[in-house]
Amino acid sequence: MNPEIANFETEMNRGFLQILVLALLENEMYGYSMVRTIRDLGYEVEENTLYPLLRRLEKNAWVTSKWDVSEERPRKFYAITDAGRGLRTELLGIWKKQNEILKNLMKEKSHV
Amino acid sequence: MFKKLDAYLEEISHFLSGREEREEILSEIRSHILEKAEQESGRVTEASLDSVIAAYGPARRVAEKYLDGRPIIAPAYKRYLFRYTTLLFSIHFLMTVVAVLFKKNFIMFPFIFMPRMGVIEAVMYLPTAFLTDLGVVALVLYFITQSGKDINLPWPKFAVDLDEVKPPAKNVLLSRIATFIGMIVMLALTDFAIYLYAKFQTIFFVNLNFTNPRPLLMPEPGRRISLIVIAMFAAGTLSLFVKLFTSSRWADVVSNGLSLVLIGLLLRQPFDNLFAVSVPAALLPKIKLGLTILLLFIAAMVTIELIKCLIILGRRQLAK
Repeated sequence: MNPEIANFETEMNRGFLQILVLALLENEMYGYSMVRTIRDLGYEVEENTLYPLLRRLEKNAWVTSKWDVSEERPRKFYAITDAGRGLRTELLGIWKKQNEILKNLMKEKSHV
Repeated sequence: MFKKLDAYLEEISHFLSGREEREEILSEIRSHILEKAEQESGRVTEASLDSVIAAYGPARRVAEKYLDGRPIIAPAYKRYLFRYTTLLFSIHFLMTVVAVLFKKNFIMFPFIFMPRMGVIEAVMYLPTAFLTDLGVVALVLYFITQSGKDINLPWPKFAVDLDEVKPPAKNVLLSRIATFIGMIVMLALTDFAIYLYAKFQTIFFVNLNFTNPRPLLMPEPGRRISLIVIAMFAAGTLSLFVKLFTSSRWADVVSNGLSLVLIGLLLRQPFDNLFAVSVPAALLPKIKLGLTILLLFIAAMVTIELIKCLIILGRRQLAK
């Protein structure tokens, strides 16, 4: 991929990934399972990007976490909080509005 | 347990030093890498960990994603770094000249202390002063950046604005030809000076009759000063020769630095019993003062050129 396009894609992904994670965490999940689920949805996420994002969301109390040590390998599970749901609604609203603007713009262009 | 994984986590830990949640971050990365290695290869081995670690990314980049994005100096303040350093250094430079000329300590407590120093010490002191000024300005801008406040800093304009990096001359060929001619002239001058020195042990004469020359200076100081001037000619020739192949500002920095040292050496030469011809005693102090002022003026010009080169080089580094 053209490195310029890759840079744009990285910038666009930043916002999208936040909404995606907040949407996924309606059910408790741990990091690796999130990477797998996101990949199954047809999207790629860098592991080293996901964990810092989860940490930032947790710091702001939009998600909560707990270690599960019942299995042989400890796993850190994340879940969305009420504040996180509020944020998700806001972000989805912004995303829909942006989508609408682009759709209308493209429609106008196709009529010209 | 797994050497490569431990080494990788240790490296990340090094970059995360000082962060409270470091242990938790490392535990999570460890858990992720082990699980991925097992899921993808059936069991965890050093070989399977190798590929998972490689996919996770270099330790420094992984750690950086956890660190706050605030830069050391905000991009908007970067251009202030060299502008303020130039201002501060100009004050420092002026005070150095004053300290050398008046041969006195100079204190503006607690900001500046200029010890009594000679010319050579001053030449050695100035680069240190420049770095100190750069450090002080960087520190102030660092604190302003870290405060997160929106502070409007004054932007002093200079008579000669050093802000704009001049583009290279359009006609490179013409400029190279001029440099080449200059180099040939300097080479001829150096050769002639070496020839005179080899034959007469001096290059300063009061007449142009080379069959029976009359040296201007006494033999010992004449030899020393001749050698310094020959070294200046040679340095100039070498600098022009280097410029034929590169337009790097570093060539100017080295050349100017060397010139400053040689001018310093000239200024250090004792003036007593210098002339081999009779000079009226009343005239000697005036000649001494005139020569000192001339050499200090040349040193000031060279220093300004040196600072300009350093600023342009610094700005280019920042621009990169």
